[in-house]
Amino acid sequence: MSEEKINANKQKVDYWKILFKNEWSYVTGAVVIVVLATALVIVTGKSWGVTGILHLWGGKFLELIGVNADTWSIYNGALGKFNFWKSIPSITNVGIVLGALLSALLAASFKIKKIKSYKQVIAAILGGILMGVGARMAMGCNIGALFSGLSSFSLHGWVFFLFIFIGAMVESSMLKKWFM
Amino acid sequence: MAEKTLDCLGEACPVPLVKAQKELEKMQKGDVLIVNIDHSCAMKNIPDWAREAGHNVEIDEVGEGEWDIVIEKC
Amino acid sequence: MSENIGRIARSSGRRTQMSDAQRKRRKAVQIITGAALIAVIIVMAFVANQTNPKGAYIVIIGTLLGYALQRSRFCFTAALRDPFLTGGTNLTKAMIITFALYSFLLMAINITKFGISLDSVDFSKAAGYIRPVGFHTALGAFLFGIGAVIAGGCASGTFMRMGEGFLQQWVVVIFFIIGSMIGGVAAPIVQFKSAPVVFLPQLFGGWALAAFVQFSLLLILYIVADIWGRKKAGGR
Repeated sequence: MSEEKINANKQKVDYWKILFKNEWSYVTGAVVIVVLATALVIVTGKSWGVTGILHLWGGKFLELIGVNADTWSIYNGALGKFNFWKSIPSITNVGIVLGALLSALLAASFKIKKIKSYKQVIAAILGGILMGVGARMAMGCNIGALFSGLSSFSLHGWVFFLFIFIGAMVESSMLKKWFM
Repeated sequence: MAEKTLDCLGEACPVPLVKAQKELEKMQKGDVLIVNIDHSCAMKNIPDWAREAGHNVEIDEVGEGEWDIVIEKC
Repeated sequence: MSENIGRIARSSGRRTQMSDAQRKRRKAVQIITGAALIAVIIVMAFVANQTNPKGAYIVIIGTLLGYALQRSRFCFTAALRDPFLTGGTNLTKAMIITFALYSFLLMAINITKFGISLDSVDFSKAAGYIRPVGFHTALGAFLFGIGAVIAGGCASGTFMRMGEGFLQQWVVVIFFIIGSMIGGVAAPIVQFKSAPVVFLPQLFGGWALAAFVQFSLLLILYIVADIWGRKKAGGR
């Protein structure tokens, strides 16, 4: 490629780089996330949460395929009352998917990463179920219980912090052994 | 000056970094390790670790969502 | 010596396989798709607004959250796991910063809403998530921590990676949903009625002491994380 062409494009490329391409520092991300979470509280009165509604998504899917899950004890009519656009975590979850996609596309770094091995599938199944059960049990996930809960000056958030840390530590030391 | 390539395409979060750390440990000063990745976490945490450990690092975006991280052991 | 790695990086076989025009075109396709996606999101905000007066804001905030998570490669799982797996604590420190900042802002909102006295704090209307604490919290968090490390991402991380194109996370979310449903049955077994709601300002007799305790703890954790990270990096 000729030098002149590179220099001519330099202006355009740098501008795009600064706005859309370069990744942010962790601290920048931290600040932006908190600002957005606070905006959510101010607008809706509710704090950011991710997993509280997932069982409702599951129930709605079951209804779609003909299972009358609304009568189950875990729903007890909640499915009938569920409206996607009135469910704040439902909207934010979909928003996160789209926002992440947007970020990757604008930086021209989107790529579909296919599943490489059966091990990854097992990890996905096991990990997903453990997170689903754990979040339900603890009444929140890393966002609802940890990020929101702890920051709400609620003791359950601190307890969650301690035990999610222990869980992650136990699992990563097992992972280390598994690789060696 | 030996050169080794580590293919970590399609690997989940901590794997590229852990593999890179183990590989680099085995190498001599002046050797170069090239890590192929397509995980956005890794294109940040591998260079961060390598720089903090004092090595020379360069990141090259070889395609959409694919990076080569070139580490020179110091 | 380090000019060498620049030369190696640029001559890496895979990079030279495509012509620059091809490369440019592929980049343009992604950016244009991104622009189209913005339009889709705006339409979605509009649709949301029909049912929910705040719908548009929520769509935009959710989108920006996903954008920020991806752009900064923020990952709570890595923040909790890396100190032991790789010795890195940069994310851990950033996570602690989010707690400190958010704590401060929630405190400000709650004091503005209810005043400095705690007599009128209505937990159902307070900003934040204040929930019962007990055995269920410990066990649930422990299981969640294990699951998050196995799956390669936590709750927010899963949704973020779905958008980034990781097909594995699309599988994770399905089982996350199934797990939630299983949890609906399993969780109540360990959620004892006796589990109390402990609001730190009530526990410490006021916002001042609670704030002091909370921010001091966070500061200590930050410093520990910093020292740990330095120690691990220097050791190589």
